[in-house]
Amino acid sequence: MAVKALNPKAEVARAQAALAVNISAARGLQDVLRTNLGPKGTMKMLVSGAGDIKLTKDGNVLLQEMGLHPRIVAEGFEIAKEKALEVLEQVKVTKEMDRETLIDVAKTSLRTKVHTELADILTEAVVDSVLAVRKPGEPIDLHMVEIMEMKHKSETDTTLIRGLVLDHGARHPDMKKRVEDAYILTCNVSLEYEKTEVSAGFFYKSAEEREKLVKAERKFIEDRVSKIIDLKRRVCGDSDKGFIVINQKGIDPFSLDALAKEGIVALRRAKRRNMERLTLACGGTAMNSVEDLTPDCLGHAGLVYEYTLGEEKYTFIEKCDNPRSVTLLIRGPNKHTLTQIKDAVRDGLRAVKNAIEDGCVIPGAGALEVAVANALVKHKPNVKGRAQLGVQAFADALLIIPKVLAQNSGYDPQETLVKVQAEHAESGQLTGVDLNTGEPMVAAAAGIWDNYNVKKQLLHSCTVIASNILLVDEIMRAGMSSLKG
Amino acid sequence: MAGEVVTLQLGHYAGCVGAHWWGLQRCPPEGTELSHAALLRAGRDGCTPRLIALELKGGVGPLGRGGARPEPLAAWRGDVANYAEPGTGTALRDRGQRPGDASADADCGSGAPGEGAAPSAGSSTQLWSDYLSVQLHPRSIYVLQQYNHDGDSGRLEAFGQGEKLLQDASCMEELEDRLHFYAEECDYLQGFQVLCDLHDGFSGVGAKVTEVLQDEYSRKGILTWGLTPVTHTVADSQKNFYRVLNAALGIVHLSAHSSLFCPLSLSGSLGIKPQPPIEFPYVNYDASLNYHSSAVLAAALDTLTVPYRLCSSRGSMMHLAEMLSFSGRKVVAAWAAVPFPAVRGHSLPDALCAHQQDVPWKLLSSCKEQKVSRCFAQSVVLRGVCKESPTSCPGQQPPSPLHACETAEQVLQYYLHTAFPGAFSASHVLEQPCVTLPPYPRIFSPLLSRQGFLPDDLSSYSAAAVESIPVLTSLQSSPVLRTLLCDLCKDLQKLGTRRCASFFAAGVEEDDFHEALQELRTLSQCYQMGFEADNSEDESDSD
Repeated sequence: MAVKALNPKAEVARAQAALAVNISAARGLQDVLRTNLGPKGTMKMLVSGAGDIKLTKDGNVLLQEMGLHPRIVAEGFEIAKEKALEVLEQVKVTKEMDRETLIDVAKTSLRTKVHTELADILTEAVVDSVLAVRKPGEPIDLHMVEIMEMKHKSETDTTLIRGLVLDHGARHPDMKKRVEDAYILTCNVSLEYEKTEVSAGFFYKSAEEREKLVKAERKFIEDRVSKIIDLKRRVCGDSDKGFIVINQKGIDPFSLDALAKEGIVALRRAKRRNMERLTLACGGTAMNSVEDLTPDCLGHAGLVYEYTLGEEKYTFIEKCDNPRSVTLLIRGPNKHTLTQIKDAVRDGLRAVKNAIEDGCVIPGAGALEVAVANALVKHKPNVKGRAQLGVQAFADALLIIPKVLAQNSGYDPQETLVKVQAEHAESGQLTGVDLNTGEPMVAAAAGIWDNYNVKKQLLHSCTVIASNILLVDEIMRAGMSSLKG
Repeated sequence: MAGEVVTLQLGHYAGCVGAHWWGLQRCPPEGTELSHAALLRAGRDGCTPRLIALELKGGVGPLGRGGARPEPLAAWRGDVANYAEPGTGTALRDRGQRPGDASADADCGSGAPGEGAAPSAGSSTQLWSDYLSVQLHPRSIYVLQQYNHDGDSGRLEAFGQGEKLLQDASCMEELEDRLHFYAEECDYLQGFQVLCDLHDGFSGVGAKVTEVLQDEYSRKGILTWGLTPVTHTVADSQKNFYRVLNAALGIVHLSAHSSLFCPLSLSGSLGIKPQPPIEFPYVNYDASLNYHSSAVLAAALDTLTVPYRLCSSRGSMMHLAEMLSFSGRKVVAAWAAVPFPAVRGHSLPDALCAHQQDVPWKLLSSCKEQKVSRCFAQSVVLRGVCKESPTSCPGQQPPSPLHACETAEQVLQYYLHTAFPGAFSASHVLEQPCVTLPPYPRIFSPLLSRQGFLPDDLSSYSAAAVESIPVLTSLQSSPVLRTLLCDLCKDLQKLGTRRCASFFAAGVEEDDFHEALQELRTLSQCYQMGFEADNSEDESDSD
C-alpha cells in the first residue's frame, strides 16, 4: 500500500475493523455525553494531557446508534433527515419575540449549563442586554455586550450595567468619586510630558537652555489641557453638571492636577477596545485631537462612580440614555466560578440572539424529538427497500434525547418515553418530559423553548457526520514525526 | 527621578535571567543610587516587580502558580500553621531569604549555594521559580496552556507557533489587560524592557508582543533583550536548524518593533556551528546549567540598564535608545566584565590604568570577538569601584593623566576616549556594587574577596563567599554586529527552506522568510565601517 511504502510507521485499520473503531468511538462519545443532558444532568470533568481541568456540560448527544450496511443506512438517514426537517418546519412556533419569550429561551439554555438559582439570576440580565444592543434592521453584534468579571469574596451575582465598567479609577485624590449627570469626553490625546529627542541631555549647552526647552514642551501639553478646561466651562457653566475625560493615552500628574482643580474627573489609558464601546454607550465622538473640540463631541451618562474592591478600582459609567453597548458584570468568589458563569452567559446571549434572528422557536424538553420520531415511524412504510432501516435507526437515535433527559433526572427512561409518546399520539400536541415529575407535559405551555436554527443545524450536521463515519472503511495514521517530537 | 518601566519576560530562559535579576535588586545598600520605583511597584502589601512573565505549562513551579502571593487569610483569626513543602525549590528560596545561613556552608566550594540544595548535573530541569527570591504580583505570571514547557510533545518550537499564539483573541486580550494594569498606574511611564527567548517559539511570541507595544504605546521606549541559553548539544540537527531560524527571524522582527534590540547570551555563537561558551577570568560557572549562565547575564543586565534607572539622572530609555540606534543601527552588542578585575584598595584611576592595553570586558552577544577599538556609540557603566579620587599629594606629578581627572566620571570618560578614539561614549559611575547574595550561585573564583576584589597579595586570600562584585558593562553600537548578522545570513542561506519543511509548515511563509533574510542583510550593512568591507568577506571564506 502506498502509505506503507512512504511511512512504515503508518497504522492502518480496514473495512469492518474501521467501522468498528468508529462506531465504538461514537458510542463511547455518546456514553460520555449522555449524562450531561438537561438541567438535571451531571457535569463532566475534562482533564487534558497535562492535568488541566475543565468542567462542562455542553455536549452534542446526537451520535447515532447503528449497525447495518453503511451505504444503505446512510441513504435512509438522508431520507429521514428530509422528513425531520419537514416536521421541524411544521412545528416551529413563529411568534413575536417579546421579552417573556426571550426569557424563556434564555432560561432553557442557561438552566442546562448552571444550577437553577444562578440561571434565573442570569436570565433577565442576558435578555435585557441583548435587547439593549439590538438595532432594528441590523444583525445583533454580541461584541457590544462586554462581559466583565469581578472577583468578590462572598457574592455570586450578575448585573446588567447600561453603560460601561472600566477596571481602573481616576488617579488624583481630589477628583470626585461620584458624579451625576455628566458629560463624557472620549479622546486619544497624549496629556503627558514626553521627553522627546531634543531633550536628550547631551544636546544642551547649558542647564538654562535645557530648562527653557523643557518648559516649552511642558507648555505644549498645558495648552491641550486648557482647551479641555475651556470646553468644560463652556458646557457646564455654573450648573452642577459633571465632566469626565476618558483618555486612551496617558495623563501625567501635572495635567491631572490642572483638571482636578476644575472639577474634571479624568481617567487615563483606557483600553482600546473600550473606546468604541464608550461612544456607543454614552454617545459623542472619540477625539484624536483637542483642536476642534465642540459640545457635539461629548457623550452623556447619568451616573459615574468609582468602586474599590481590595486593591482594584473600577469606574462605573452607567445610566446612559440610549446605550448601544452594555456591560454584564459577573461577580463570583473565584476564577473557576467566574469562568463557568461567563461560558453560560455567552451561550445564553447566543440563544437569545438566535431566537430574535429566527423569529421563531421550537418546543424543547424532547418534544421535537418525540414528534419527529413519531413522524418518521409513520413515514417508514413509504420508503422503499432496506433504506427503511436507516429511517428507523434515525428515529431511534432521536429518542435518545427524551430518554436520557428522563434518565438524568432519575426516572425510568422507557417508562417515561412510552408515557410521552402516548400523550403525544393522543393529544397531537408537542409533548416533552417534565423533569420534576417524570410525567409528560406540553413544552410550549411550560415555556421551554429551543433555538430553531440550532435544531436545524444539528439535524443537518449530525446526519452528515453519522453518514461519513459509517462510510469510512479504512483508517490510517501516519503523522509527521519531526515537529511533534 | 527615573520614570517607570514595565518588564516583560517571554520564555523560560528569560524567566531564569529575570529571576536572578529581581534577586539582585532585593537588598540595595544604603544611600541607593538606583531608583527602586523604576522597576518595582508599591502595592498594598509590599513592592513587587512591574512584571509580566509568559511561561508554558509546567514552566513555573508551585511558587508562581496563579501569582506568588498567597491569599491573605482575612477572615481567619485563629492560629495559622505553615507547612513548607520539602524540596530543592524551597530550600534554595529559604537560603535566599536568610543570607546569613549560607555562610555556614561556606567551605563546600562546589560553586552552588549549599550542598544539599546544589543543583546537580542532572537537575537541568530546575525551574526559575525555584530560585526566585522576590514576591510577584498575582498578575505577573501568565501561563500559556497551549504548549508544554517540558516533555516530548506539544513544545513551542517554531517562530510561527509563537506568532500564532498571540493571534488568538483571548490570549491577546489577557496580555493587553495585564499591560494596561501596570501602564495605567504609571505617572511617567518611560517604556518597556522585554526579555525574550530567541532560541524557541518565544521569538515569535516576542515579535507579536513588541508589535503590540509599539502600536499601543507609541513614543515609549521598547528595549528588547534577545536571550539564548548556552547550547549544550547539536546532536539533533533538526533542533539546531530550528534554533538558528528562530533566532534569525526573532532578531529581524524584534529589532523592527523595538527602540533598541540587544542579543544577550553566554553562548559562543548563534549560528549552526557551535562555539565554546564565553569564559570570564574570575568566574567558574557550569555552562550547562541555566541557573549559572542566567546569573552571569543578570549581573550584566542589572548594570547595562543603569542609565535609565538612576535616581539622579533625567535620562530615559528613549534617550539611551536614540543615542545608540543612530541611522538605523537598532541592534546593539553588550559587553561586560563580571566581575570587573580590580585590586582591593585601588582607586578608580589605578584600576583602569591596569587595563590600558585592553578593556577587560567580554562580548555577550554570541559573536566571535574581534579586538576592535572602534564603535559608533556606546553607553558604559562602571559600578562598585571606589568613587573617591585618590588623595593626590600637592605638587607631585600625577602618575597618569587618569589620575589628574577630578571626578570618577571624568576618569572613565578619559579612559574610554583613549580606548575608543572618535566614538561617542556616554558613561556612568556607580558606587553601589552588584549584590550577589544567594540564591545567586557561588560561581566566583576563590581568589576574590567578599566584595569581589582581587587580593593585593596572594597570601591574604580567603575563601569567603563573594557578597558583591564590581561590574563594567557597555551597550555598544559596534561593527562586530556586522559579523554577527552576516554570519547568520550565511547560515540561513546554507540552510535553505527545504531542510526545515516542518518549520515553515508551522506558520512562517517562505516569502516572509526571504524577506526577513533581506532585512537581516540590510541591517548588517548599517554596521559597515566603510573600508573593511572586503576584509570581512575574506574572513568568512577562511571559516
